[in-house]
Order: sequence, then C-alpha cells, then structure tokens
Amino acid sequence: MSTLANILIDGIAYGMVLFVIAIGLSVTLGLMRFVNLSHGAFAMVGGYCAALLTREAQWSFWVAVPVAILATALLGAVLEVLVLRHLYRRKELDQVLFTIGLSFLLIAGTNALVGPQVQLIPLPSALAGSVDLGFRTLPAQRLLVIGAGLAVAAVAAWTVTRTRFGIWLRAAVDHAGTASALGIPIRTVQCASFAAGAALAGFGGILGAELMPLEPYYALKYLVLVLVVVAVGGMGSITGSLCAAVLLGVIETASKYLASDWGSLFFFLAMAALLAWRPDGLLKR
Amino acid sequence: MSISRRTLASAALAAIASFLTAANAQAQTIKVGIVGPFSGPFAHYGTLFKAGAEAYVASQGGKLAGRAVELIYRDTGGPNPAQTKTLVQELIVKDKVDYLGGFVFTPNAMAVAPLIQQSQTPTVIFNAATSSITEKSEYFVRTSYTLWQVTVPMAQWAAKQGLKKVVTAVSDFGPGIDAETAFKSEFAKQGGTVVESIRMPLTTTDFGPFVQRIRASGAQAVYTFLPGGPPNLGFVKAYNENGLAKAGIQFLGTAETDEFDLQKFGDAALGLATAFHYSGVHDSPVNKKFVTALKQRDPNAVANYASVGAWDGMYVIHKMIEATGGQKDGAKAVAAARALQWESPRGPVRIDPKTRHIVQNVYLRKVERVGEMLVNREVQSFGPQADHGLDK
Amino acid sequence: MNTMTLLRARLQKPDASAPRCAPPSRAPLVALVIGLVACTLLPQHASLLTRVFITALLVLSLDLAVGVAGLATLGHAALFGVGAYAAGIFALKVMPDPLVGLGIGVAAGALLAFASGAFLLRYQGFTFLMLTVAVAQIVLSLAQKARDWTGGDDGLSGFTVRPLLGRFVFDLEGRVAALYALAVLVIALYLLRRLVDSPFGLAVRGIHENRARMAALGTPVYARLLVLYTVAGAVAGAAGALSAQTTAVVGLDSLSFALSAEALVMLILGGAGRLTGALVGATVFTLLHHTAASINPYHWLFVVGILLMLVVLVPPAKAWAWLRSRVGAGS
Repeated sequence: MSTLANILIDGIAYGMVLFVIAIGLSVTLGLMRFVNLSHGAFAMVGGYCAALLTREAQWSFWVAVPVAILATALLGAVLEVLVLRHLYRRKELDQVLFTIGLSFLLIAGTNALVGPQVQLIPLPSALAGSVDLGFRTLPAQRLLVIGAGLAVAAVAAWTVTRTRFGIWLRAAVDHAGTASALGIPIRTVQCASFAAGAALAGFGGILGAELMPLEPYYALKYLVLVLVVVAVGGMGSITGSLCAAVLLGVIETASKYLASDWGSLFFFLAMAALLAWRPDGLLKR
Repeated sequence: MSISRRTLASAALAAIASFLTAANAQAQTIKVGIVGPFSGPFAHYGTLFKAGAEAYVASQGGKLAGRAVELIYRDTGGPNPAQTKTLVQELIVKDKVDYLGGFVFTPNAMAVAPLIQQSQTPTVIFNAATSSITEKSEYFVRTSYTLWQVTVPMAQWAAKQGLKKVVTAVSDFGPGIDAETAFKSEFAKQGGTVVESIRMPLTTTDFGPFVQRIRASGAQAVYTFLPGGPPNLGFVKAYNENGLAKAGIQFLGTAETDEFDLQKFGDAALGLATAFHYSGVHDSPVNKKFVTALKQRDPNAVANYASVGAWDGMYVIHKMIEATGGQKDGAKAVAAARALQWESPRGPVRIDPKTRHIVQNVYLRKVERVGEMLVNREVQSFGPQADHGLDK
Repeated sequence: MNTMTLLRARLQKPDASAPRCAPPSRAPLVALVIGLVACTLLPQHASLLTRVFITALLVLSLDLAVGVAGLATLGHAALFGVGAYAAGIFALKVMPDPLVGLGIGVAAGALLAFASGAFLLRYQGFTFLMLTVAVAQIVLSLAQKARDWTGGDDGLSGFTVRPLLGRFVFDLEGRVAALYALAVLVIALYLLRRLVDSPFGLAVRGIHENRARMAALGTPVYARLLVLYTVAGAVAGAAGALSAQTTAVVGLDSLSFALSAEALVMLILGGAGRLTGALVGATVFTLLHHTAASINPYHWLFVVGILLMLVVLVPPAKAWAWLRSRVGAGS
C-alpha cells in the first residue's frame, strides 16, 4: 500500500510541474494557433533566473522567485510584440522552424553565459528539509510543488471563468474574428496571455528544478513531455491540461516504481491510447 | 529555383570553408586527437580533458620528447557512436593524427575499435570504464579505471564491515551493468547477498521512485554507479532528501562524490563512503604539482578523475612518442606503453602488459569538510588493483 | 506545384501542349554529378560526404510524408532506426552482405511504416503529429529494453560488412562507402520522382491540398496515404541500413526525437514538397553543423539558431526578388 501512496505523491508532484509548464503552451496553441516550440526555453529561463539570483546575487528565495517569473513574463511579452506576432499568419512549419531556431539560440546563449553545468536552486531552510509523513520521508519541496500546482490551477480557473479578461480569452479562443468584431482588444489579449504563459512556464521551471535539472538543453529536452500534456489535455483547455498532466505523471511514476527497465514505454502507450480515444483532448466533447 | 540557388550558394560556401579549415600537416608536429563531449550535459568532461591534457604539456615545457604537440579536439556531444566514428575517421584520414585520446562513453570507444585497429593508431582512453573495451583492439590503452577494478575491493570492504544484505542501483548501460555484476559476484564470494538489483534508465532525472524502492528492499546498504554529471547529482540528492541515511541504509559508491559536483551537496554529503582510484586531496607531492598545474591552466578546472585521466593519458602518449622517436609506429608505441610504470597524481601506477589497462591503488574515501570545501578523504588503501573484469 | 502556378504557366506560354514538369531523370543526374564531383575533389572528407548522402536520403523520405502528402511527422527517426538496427542485426547474426542488408533495412522500414501508419493515418493535424512522437518513443523504449538484440545504451557494434558486390572493400578512407551511399540516393531520388509525378503521386498531392474534395472525387484517401507512408518508411529504412553499414555501429540516437526534429528542420530549411529541397536542406545543414562544430563545439548552436530564424523571417524567395529588383533595374 505504501508503494501506491508513494506513486500517487510522486506522480502528482511530477504532474503538477508538467501542468504549470504546459498551461502556457496550451493557451498559446489554442488561442493563437501559434506553434511555439520555444516554450521549454521559457521554463529554462525562469529556472535559471531564480537559480542565479538566489545563488550568485544572494537574494532571498522569496524575492528571487517572483522576480524571475516577472523577468520571464517580460521576455515573453517582448518577444511576442517584436517578433512572434508577425509569424501568426505564417504556415505552421515556418513557425516550427523559427521557434526551434529561437530555442537553439537560447540554449547556446545560456551555455555561453552560465556554462553547461546543472543549476541548483538553493531552497530556504523552510523548504529544504524533509517532512516525515510516517510511512515515508518526503522532501518538503514536493509538497510545495503540489500546493503550487493546485494554486495555479485554481487561479487560472478563476481568471478564465470569473474575470473579464477570462471572458475575452475564451471568446478569442472560440472565434477570434467575431471576438474582435465585438470590440475585444485581441492584440492585448494575445500579448497578455502569451506573457502569462511564459511566466507560468518560468514558474514551472523553478518548481521542477529538482525533477528536471536545469541545464542548457532543458529547452528541447522536456519539450516532448509538455507537448504530450497539451495534446492529451486538448489545446486551450486548462482543466484538460491539469487532468492530462496528473494522469500522465502518475503513470510515468508508476512505471518507474514497478517496471523501470521499460523506460517511458507505458507513458507513451498511455498517451497514444488517450489520444486515440479522445483526439481533441480529454475533456473536449 | 530561387530557394535552391541561395541555399546552393551557401552550401558551396560551407563546403569551401570546411575544406579551408583543414589543418596543414607539419612534418615535426605530433598530432593528438582528443575526442569527447564538448557540448551538452556532459560537456564538463571535455573541458576537464582539455585542461588536464594542456596542463600536462605545459608542465613538460610545451613539448613532449622534444617535439611540438598539436591537440585537436572533436565534439561527440554524448553517447553518439556513429558521429564519433565519423569524427575519428576524419581525424585519422584527413588530419592524420598520430595518437588518439579521450572517450568518455563506452559505445563511442567500441565504435572506433575497427578504425584504430586498421590504421594502427594508439588510442588512450581517458575515461570510458567498461572492461571489454580494451579487448576490442590491440591499440587501446586505458588510463582511467574499470568498474570491476573499483567495485571488487568495495564489495570486500562491505563484507568486512559486517553487511549482509545490499541492494545495487546502477544506470542501465555497459559500465553500470559491469558494476552490478562485479559487486554481486564478489559480495556473494564474501558471503553476502544482493537482495535486489535495480537498473535505472540513463535518461532518468527524477530518482525519487528508485530511492523509495531501495528503502523498501530491506537492505542495509545501497551500492550504486552512475555515469557522472547530472544523474550523480540527482541520485545523491534523492538519497539525502528521502532520508535513507536516517533509515539506516548506508551509501556505498564509486564516482558519485566526484569533486566536480561535490560542493553542491552541502553537509548532506558528509560521511558518504566511496571506493575510487583518485581523490583531489591525495597527499603526495606529485598530486600537488598536478593540482597547481591544472589551476594555472584553467582556474575553473577541478582536479578529479577526468582531469587526472587526461593528465596520465598524456603521460602515456609522451612515453610513446619518446619510444618511437616521433615516428608513426603504432605497434612500437603500444609495446612501449605496456612496460610503463610511474608515480601518478593518484599514487603508484603501471600499465598491465596483458590487458593494456592501468593497474592502480583503489582507496576507500569518506567525505569530510576541510574549511569551506568538501573533500574525499582517503581513509584506507586497498592496494593495487588490476582490472578484475578481464581476469577470467 | 499547385493548380494556380500550373494555370499561370499555361496562360503565359501559348504553347501549352507540352507538359511543364521536368523530366524525372534531371534531378537525379544533377545530384549524381554533384556527388561525384564532391567525392573526387574532397577524398579526405569521404566520411562526411557519406553522412551528407545518408542524411539527404532520410530527409528525402521525410519530404514524401511531409511535403508531398502533408503528413507532418516528428517520429520519422523510428523508421530510420529500425532500418539501421535490422541491417546491423542481420549483418551480425545472419550474413554481412551489404546489398541484402540494405534490402532488409528497406523491408523493416516499410513494415513499421505500414503497421504504424494503419493506426496513425486515422488521425490528422496536431493529433497525428503527437501520435507519431508516441510511436517513435515506444519503438525507442522497446529498443532500449531489448538489450540482447540492440545493445541498449551501449549500441550495436562488432559487425563488419562484406565487400560490396564481392569486389569493393569498404576502405578506411570511406570512398567506397560514399559512392555506395550516393548510388542509393540517386536511385531513390529517381524512383521517388517517378512516383510523385505519377497519377498516384498526383492523387496524394491532391489529398494534401484538399482531403474532402479528393474523397468526394472517390479517391480512397486512407489507402493512398498508407501506401505513400509505407514507401516513405522504406526509403527511411534504406537510409538507416546505409548508416549501419557504413559506420558499422548503430546507437539509440538513430531512434531519437532529436533526429526526427533535426530532419524536419533540414526539410523546412530546404523547402518541402519538391524533393530537391530535401537534398539541399540536408546538405546545407549537415555541412554547416560540421564546420561550425569543428571551429567551436560550444557555440555552433548560435549559428544554426540564427540561420533558422533568418530563413523564416526573410524568406529566400523574397530576398532574392528584392536583390534582383535592386541589382537588375532593367530586367
């Protein structure tokens, strides 16, 4: 039984990290139909900023993390306004090529500026310890990840359903033309959601730094996982991404516990099965 | 047609550029090709090879056996046998190297065995640790270590400490499986049992599940081997954070407390026991000279098994150049290498004439804090160990 | 070439009776000549040229799927990898003859393409793309697990290949390997050119442009796509077999996502859909990677990244037209 509990805890934590990173990509894909393969790079940038600020500049963790998230949001907004919005009308393959090129650039830049070693984010003593749950000792950081993921899901859901921005967002995802004809400022919505997606990716990179080590190739290495979550959860669907991320996270963790020499076989088998069953996303009718 | 023209032009330019960057052969210069990862997650190996090799050449006054030496570096990226083979083929055919060095990953070394055999190019392995590599070609000489070499004494020590049940957790590739087999057979010989053998995929980043399995196995200790770099860091952190030490499961390792990442563990690493052939604080004048030369060459470089593997590798190449008088004679060079015996920064070493593998002291170390730094303090020497994997 | 360009061409030239397509042997001949010249002028780079030819063959097969049929896939490396492993295992365990091994590689690639295509082609767009990733990763996991056959993370090595046609030994310099790869590439290019220009190829291109319309015309869409995907798999398998035979080693990297992504990048760089674009993209990217990496292994990604972004931001067609308007004011 304790194995089951272990699988659930580790799996949910892993799933939460994937969810937080994937939200931005899901919204961008659903809203702007923009294939942004540099999304992983935002997660990397967020993680690196937090790591450098806490370690090199000696800032407090609680200050460095929000600053890192804001920096990533800023980077996202700047990129969107200056470069990416001109690509919205281009063919998907062109978008793929460009964003892969951008990822390469960010990988090379990170390597040049910081070096190829893994970056660790030193946690404050409150989070660095272990929590003894009786049947197992858990790094406190995992609990933070689960909590943060739930908080992000809650805030995102609230934003989308209860605020005016959320209404604008949903309208724009459903039909951009009509939404803009009705006076919704599409450009602002696009820029803001892109920046928010980048910020969340950065947050996810920070949260996941223990599970997915920060090194220059991070941008492309974990891209597949994030794409899988977006595909299975359905583009543009936040609750879909959450369900997909947690489900796939638990399956991957279960296979690590029970059948580790099969690698990620079960993860991708499950993914293929889920996609075949619900091609448009888990929760889309 | 417009696209084809533009890209054809750039293709032509690229081809011309690659043709022009071909190094011109100089009659007297000895060329040594160093093959290793210079990009990607294992890029630190490349940097350390470079630092160690160049530091050695500098320490000999810039020339080896009176001849100028040109080091040509090629990037394999990671375990990439096909690319490594292409790079080495180019080094041999186009750059006409006299010696080869480097090699971090077993598959890369295996892939070039037929090439070096056919071209009779002596190749010194600075890192790759699977025993069977040196059997693939007569021109391989190894200055690193093998898993059998460091695991057998560890298993013997574990048994002497009274441990009866141990679980092995290794990365699922050649050296890892060597480590598992070596530990199991030696530990069984000493009367203990390996209760479970866990193999972890090379691409694992989250070791939490494996650490939980270790805990659930009921063993008194865990013996582990990981390839160096991010996986080692992840595993040791998972070991600490999941409270295995508190649960009474001892840590028995080899390269996990490698000086490169050691400082990142903090106090959680204190007391971890490993069996390995080199520690940065090995107390000898030769080692002190090595560390100084290394720091002079590259202040960021760390004195660890990779940089010392390169240093000693260049020593072997130096002696091979001496023995052949600077001429390209693979058979003579390797014959000379077989007879080598010297005091290395790691301790007294010699090359085994039968296996062409380095015979060296293996030490038991425990992590200690000295001032600001964590170090691997050598607690005990197991004496000279050969490559037990090839003894059969 | 779509309907609009065909129409435009017809309208401009009064003599519209002759077909506007280039003869199918032109591109292969040009490729053959360029390849032979390269092999003669740069004999020391033979192994690099071999890699260029093999990569070009892989990207060519990807062009069939992506450019001609419109099936954007990120799992093409699986077809390459099974061809490589099949040829390698065959050489190791059964017989080391290169041409038979090549046939085995082709068969393996075609078989996997057929089997996976039967499932994959029921889906379209982003779903299809992600499912190709899943299939490729599943194949990779299986290859990793089957250590006894594939060597796992250590790679499959230790096999040698008999002299080609009984006479040409695979020499150390790699000249025979380069010519062998070039020959296979040229033959494949010719065959694919014939295929793409045939009624079958036209039907597939029609499906790419408008699936519903083709279905309404009575074309069995699924069947056509499956056949095309199988052919693409066969060509990719051939590329894999060549890779296994010329380097005598097969690693798990031949099944990796990174390889699929790189092939796609090369294809888009050179231009998808015309088959020749695949060759150009593969050549440019491989040579660039090689040159940049040997100059500075740390920073070659900068060069490639900027190149990719530039190529998208300033489409070569537009740049060429702008240059022409500046330079040739009278034309």
